Amino acid sequence: MASQPHSLSYVGCNFLRQRLVLSTLSGRPVKIRKIRAKEENPGLRDFEASFIRLIDKVTNGSRIEINQTGTTLYYQPGLLYGGVLEHDCSPHRSIGYYLESLLCLAPFMKHPLKIVLRGVTNDQVDPSVDVLKATALPLLKKFGIDGEGFELKITRRGMPPKGGGEVTFACPVRKVLQPIQSTDPGKIKRIRGTAYSVRVSPQIANRIVDSARSILNKFIPDIYIYTDHMKGTSSGKSPGFGLSLVAETTNGTFLGAELASNPQGQGTAVLPEELGLNCAKLLLEEIYRGGCVDSTNQSLVLLLMTLGQQDVSKVLLGPLSPYTIEFLRHLRSFFQIMFKIETKPSHEELQGGEKVLMTCVGIGFSNLSKTIK
Amino acid sequence: MEEKDRKKHRKKHSGPKADKKRKRHLNDLGLGDDEDARKRNPKAFAVQSAVRMARTFHRTQDLKTKKHHIPVVDRTPLEPPPVVVVVVGPPKVGKSTLIKCLIRNFTRQKLIEIRGPVTIVSGKRRRLTIIECGCDINTMIDLAKIADLVLMLIDASFGFEMETFEFLNICQVHGFPKIMGVLTHLDSFKNNKQLKKTKKRLKHRFWTEVYPGAKLFYLSGMVHGEYQKQEIHNLGRFISVMKFRPLTWQTSHPYVLADRMEDLTNPEDVRVNPKCDRKVSIYGYLRGAYLKNQSQIHMPGVGDFTVSDVSFLPDPCALPEQQKKRSLNEKDKLIYAPLSGVGGVVYDKDAVYIDLGGSHEEVRPNRELVQSLISTHSTIDVKMASSKVSLFMDSKPLGSEDVENQEFVMPKEEKQIDLKTGRVRRKAVFEEENDNGASGEEEGQDEEMSEDEMDGSEDGDGDDEGESDKEVPGQDLGLRSAKRVKREETTEEAGMELPAFADSDDDLEMSSGEEGETDLDESKEEVEDHGDEEESDEKESSDSDSESSSRQISKLTPCELGREDKEQRENHNLDHRLGKKVVPTTDSGNCTAEEASDSEAEGSSLEEEEEEGLNDDSEAEESDRKGIQSAPEKNVDGVEWAESKVVEDEDGGDDIENLLKEEEEYGEENDLSADTAGALKWKEDLTQKAAEAFLRQHQSAPNLRKLVYGTVAEDADEEDDAHEELGGLFHVSRPDKESKQKANALDCSKFPVETPQDWDLDEVMNSIRDCFVTGKWEADKDAAKLLKEDEELYGDFEDLETGAVHKGKPAAEGDEEEDKEGKEPKAEEEKNKRMDKKRKLKAMFDAEYDEGDATYFDDLKEEMQKQAQLNRAEFEDQDDESRVQYEGFRPGMYVRIEIENIPCEFVLNFDPHYPIILGGLGNSEGNVGYVQLRLKKHRWYKKILKTRDPIIFSLGWRRFQTIPMYYIEDHNGRHRLLKYSPQHMHCGATFWGPITPQGTGFLAIQSVSGTTPDFRIAATGVVLDLDKSITVVKKLKLTGFPFKIYKNTSFIKGMFNSPLEVAKFEGAAIRTVSGIRGQIKKALRKPEGAFRATFEDKLLMSDIVFMRTWYPVSIPAFYNPVTSLLKPAGEKDTWTGMKTTGQLRHELGIRLKQNKDSLYKPIVREKKHFNKLHIPKALQKALPFKNKPKNHEKKAKPTKDQWRPAVIREPHEKKISALLTALGTVHSYKIKKAKLNHRQHLKDYLKRKHKEEEEKFKRQKEAKKKLFRIMGQKEKKRQKSSLKGSREREK
Repeated sequence: MASQPHSLSYVGCNFLRQRLVLSTLSGRPVKIRKIRAKEENPGLRDFEASFIRLIDKVTNGSRIEINQTGTTLYYQPGLLYGGVLEHDCSPHRSIGYYLESLLCLAPFMKHPLKIVLRGVTNDQVDPSVDVLKATALPLLKKFGIDGEGFELKITRRGMPPKGGGEVTFACPVRKVLQPIQSTDPGKIKRIRGTAYSVRVSPQIANRIVDSARSILNKFIPDIYIYTDHMKGTSSGKSPGFGLSLVAETTNGTFLGAELASNPQGQGTAVLPEELGLNCAKLLLEEIYRGGCVDSTNQSLVLLLMTLGQQDVSKVLLGPLSPYTIEFLRHLRSFFQIMFKIETKPSHEELQGGEKVLMTCVGIGFSNLSKTIK
Repeated sequence: MEEKDRKKHRKKHSGPKADKKRKRHLNDLGLGDDEDARKRNPKAFAVQSAVRMARTFHRTQDLKTKKHHIPVVDRTPLEPPPVVVVVVGPPKVGKSTLIKCLIRNFTRQKLIEIRGPVTIVSGKRRRLTIIECGCDINTMIDLAKIADLVLMLIDASFGFEMETFEFLNICQVHGFPKIMGVLTHLDSFKNNKQLKKTKKRLKHRFWTEVYPGAKLFYLSGMVHGEYQKQEIHNLGRFISVMKFRPLTWQTSHPYVLADRMEDLTNPEDVRVNPKCDRKVSIYGYLRGAYLKNQSQIHMPGVGDFTVSDVSFLPDPCALPEQQKKRSLNEKDKLIYAPLSGVGGVVYDKDAVYIDLGGSHEEVRPNRELVQSLISTHSTIDVKMASSKVSLFMDSKPLGSEDVENQEFVMPKEEKQIDLKTGRVRRKAVFEEENDNGASGEEEGQDEEMSEDEMDGSEDGDGDDEGESDKEVPGQDLGLRSAKRVKREETTEEAGMELPAFADSDDDLEMSSGEEGETDLDESKEEVEDHGDEEESDEKESSDSDSESSSRQISKLTPCELGREDKEQRENHNLDHRLGKKVVPTTDSGNCTAEEASDSEAEGSSLEEEEEEGLNDDSEAEESDRKGIQSAPEKNVDGVEWAESKVVEDEDGGDDIENLLKEEEEYGEENDLSADTAGALKWKEDLTQKAAEAFLRQHQSAPNLRKLVYGTVAEDADEEDDAHEELGGLFHVSRPDKESKQKANALDCSKFPVETPQDWDLDEVMNSIRDCFVTGKWEADKDAAKLLKEDEELYGDFEDLETGAVHKGKPAAEGDEEEDKEGKEPKAEEEKNKRMDKKRKLKAMFDAEYDEGDATYFDDLKEEMQKQAQLNRAEFEDQDDESRVQYEGFRPGMYVRIEIENIPCEFVLNFDPHYPIILGGLGNSEGNVGYVQLRLKKHRWYKKILKTRDPIIFSLGWRRFQTIPMYYIEDHNGRHRLLKYSPQHMHCGATFWGPITPQGTGFLAIQSVSGTTPDFRIAATGVVLDLDKSITVVKKLKLTGFPFKIYKNTSFIKGMFNSPLEVAKFEGAAIRTVSGIRGQIKKALRKPEGAFRATFEDKLLMSDIVFMRTWYPVSIPAFYNPVTSLLKPAGEKDTWTGMKTTGQLRHELGIRLKQNKDSLYKPIVREKKHFNKLHIPKALQKALPFKNKPKNHEKKAKPTKDQWRPAVIREPHEKKISALLTALGTVHSYKIKKAKLNHRQHLKDYLKRKHKEEEEKFKRQKEAKKKLFRIMGQKEKKRQKSSLKGSREREK
């Protein structure tokens, strides 16, 4: 018998990634209906199809059914398999879109994941690979996912609209995760960043750096922004430039912010100085929001806390993003886990916005895919 | 006299004093202890060999570390569930007697019959659940999985029986709980020596099975059919002080050993279809891990289910309150065994009897009794009704305070339970009302219903409840169905789902005078509703005793209030009724209109806050409904805006742009509202803003949770339901119009900044100044401050080098001057500070000096301990209601679990002797897939196991039949299929079945039905891997034959059927039987499937060519849970599943048709004929002559002239020739003899000659000697003379 666990049903294409990822981890099938049903161009888009294909690649035995118009998706998860893979991401969304979900899944594979993703590395919509590398990876390390084969490498940069970038992501597997207690974000001790430019004048990166420093230097002197000018094959197919900044605190918290230029042929041209200034301001906003995890990785940290042992995990976050809030709801419907949410006023006046203390008891998740010998 | 009587002093020879004396004596003699020996004789202790020393050191370290276990976080709850004691043994060994004796020992009660688990309080800190385990292997397996302690009864007069060993093996596989052996029937031994021998023998055998030194108890004899009191007492002591180690499976899965089961199915449904699926509630202590609502469970012997509802109940067998005394009070010695008829209700198929046994009745918490009574409404009939009455009559003569309490509690409790667990009729009604109430319509119907209900409950108090029961269901059903439809409409109209107590919020709004007209209308209706309800209330109160309702309220304990709260949320109607009572105590968040306005008038700040919380919520809901914003009053500042956005998001909100606009609207509206005047100055006055924000934080806290998780904790299910499909028929419709946009919005995890702050402004910049290391630090971390503190700590000191004197701050003076009234607290503070410092210093000192000892292991242990502490502390201060939300139901709670869609046989064939276990399943443990195991046939099982024979596994919670395939792993990692499991070796096995975490142990049995004299456990092992595909292969050899042979190339046919197949195998290695290796090259056009292949040598036409391939085996997807609990009572141990082919053949008498080829025939060996050796010419040429074949050319036939005919002699000639031959022979003999003679002569002659020669030589030698001697003498003389001459000459 072993009755199939009752499936969950959702409407709309939003939060597709969350749903598929949680479904894979919890083993509950999910059905998503009415995907852009009322729009001119109904059904799943290219990038979503590509994402589904990626999920199919990393799992074994999962069943995916899509109806003819692409407005309904049924996903019955298999076991996470991993291994050495390659995937061509759709250039509509950046690699960050795919990587965010892979970060959630990678520690629970059967074989360590080593995947090459091709597509757009930096765009204006999704968190870029640079920021994920600087913020999400240290976060995973806190949960005990660490070691030799844990890296994210940008071999080629690709900017929208054509892409052409390449990223290698490798992650070891873990059977269980450690609980975390990070309630003190600490003080920011240094700011690092990367100003990149492809297929444009190499001077642009320097101009970005100068303008960004002009703002950040008012707060802290320890700033170093690398300039990364890619040439030849490693520069992708479209021109563009951008900046990603990461602030590191004394307690190992990483807060990131980024900004990229408008894609070629879309919107007006952006001045590098302006971009640098705006990005620096974004970082300050992020610092104002604060917390032990920056706003992009909130859902990741909550997921990993949920998947911990049956111990209490705590994390201090800035204001919850809409994505995170939906994620919390999904966590409850997939794992029956509810977070204790306490609003914490910042200790003193001068420490930014209010914080939220999230507490939960892990569900005692263990990696069912991993083989024991 | 005295001196004579006095005993002589006896020197002590043992004991500490004697030891001391001896030591001193030895010391005096100079033969002290080891230390001295070391000093005295250092050489004896010197290092002889460094290598050896290193080795011994390593060894000791190894031994030390071997003792360590990997530390685990201690997750045992503060109030642990009762310890499960399983009494197991073969039949007639005295299990029931032992249980009875144990119960008697602990509770002084005598149980006549024991059915199901019995829970007793055994001490201040421990409770026991004792359960008997029969010999059915199903029961044995199930109970071994949940046992904490096993009492293994052994009949000493008989010795060990198979059951004992089987149970031990089951235990080993499923995580080995504590095992204690108990030997019974020891009185049958007449001979003391034999008894001793037997004891020893049994003990040692037991030790080899469990562990050396395992406790074995001896129950020597029976007195009046019971075991001896002292022995039982000792056994009890042992049990109650025993410590248990945590078992992996048990600590990672929640489970319940049911001590009560009730059928909640609608009787009407059962009447219509007696075989309909049932809904049951199961009661028991939760053990193991946290249980979540809606989670998956497995009932061994029944199947997999989803928990439809969980609630926790007050502990029916609570541990005593903390007391100083060592022993228990008589009234604390509780016993709870509903299935056996203790603790409230006796179970029977069709009736329930209440046991009101004497003194114990007072001891039991009243509520429990009543509740258990009430909750059995489901199986009610007329008898039941009458019995209930008798209870109330009985319970009246209780103590006067009790009466008050009880009198109030009872009706209330009754209703609650009615709603919750009671008859289905009522429950359904209340659910309807709840929903309807929320939609704010159909008040009239509600009233009808509620009155209906009221009548019912009142009747319930009266005598003729049975009648009313019978009447109502039909009516009720009709009503309900009508309502369902109606509700659908209304929800569609409203286009949204309201929180359960939305109307009470509406009331609030009315009181605060901020809502729109529609609200007013609604709330008016509401008020009317209230009026009606008040009436009903009054009815009720008139029913109740003379006490006024207000007095009753004042007697409510807080705990009861809490319970009431919960009920309110579940049942809206009741909510109003009770809510009114509750509010004066200012405890409830849900105020009715009157109270809310009252409290507002009073201006109690606390309540205001709560209201605002509610307001916010309700308004959020409204804005959602109408698209108009009646703003949450304080959604203004930069802190709050995020939350307001959240509101929108949750309730189907808008895009970011929309939100921005809306916010402005908010702002405008807020301008109008009087109480948020501060909002106007938002931009100018940052500090004030911050202050306000701080104030508001408290209010927003519950909001955030609400925003994330929807309504309130208690209604958690609602939202879930919205996501899930509800059995296909009914859907909870959600607001669709607005949500659609969001549902198809961009899926992005970034959190864009809507209103960027102007980072050029100094104020704004200052707001994050302290986030940097360059900013200000908190007091306890600031380096400068810490330094200063240190200075204070050490006070004044003199710098000797410079001669400067540093003085400590004259703190006392300043303080005294500053404040005199605040002196005492200050002093206190000072003291605390000092203590803190001291502690810090001590910690530092400890850290410094203990550093050497702290190993990695210690660190790990400490870390785990810290985590455990945190786990305990985190939710400690919260009440159970909300705690359950976050953690799930924690082990140790007494829970009631509702399960739907249970097969009717479970209820119909219920037998309390068989344990009901609910085992919680982890994530995806409810799924099925391929499971790989490491398996070994049990050494006591007589047969080997055959691939593809169905076998029953016990794995995780489950028992199921499946078809395993056995395999072995080759050196290159290939999984090769085996036909049979190896005899004494591990092998792999794969089957299709439920996914169970790796590392879980399992056992396999061939059949669970009946008993066999042989050992039943066929195999044991462990889960290695889970997958959705399999890798087991079997060998397949494809054969072909050469049809054309060139040098090393041959054309092979018969291996494939088409060129396509050949193409698939191009490059594959092939081989002939004789061992010539080769490779497939290319397909030939003709004949089909033939191919060209090259070999390392030339083939022969007689060669057979074959290719070794590996063919993946498919594993039959057969998974059949053992549903032994569904069998009729008395046949529960007769479950049979799929039969093996062997069994079927045996039963049907079908003989196996054997392959002709596998029959044995006499071997006929033909004479082997070898061909001649052929050596190639080239090789021959190269060979040395010696090895060259010497086949001379055959001589040509002699020509005719050379050819001579044979001569045939005449007889005469023959005679002549014969004579000639004879003469010749004689002659030759003579010659031979003469030759011999001659040779002899010659020899002699030579000998002689030799001798003579020697003589001659000798003589010559002599002569020569003589001659030389003479010559020598002469020479000497000559020399002498010559020397003389020379000397003379010299002279």
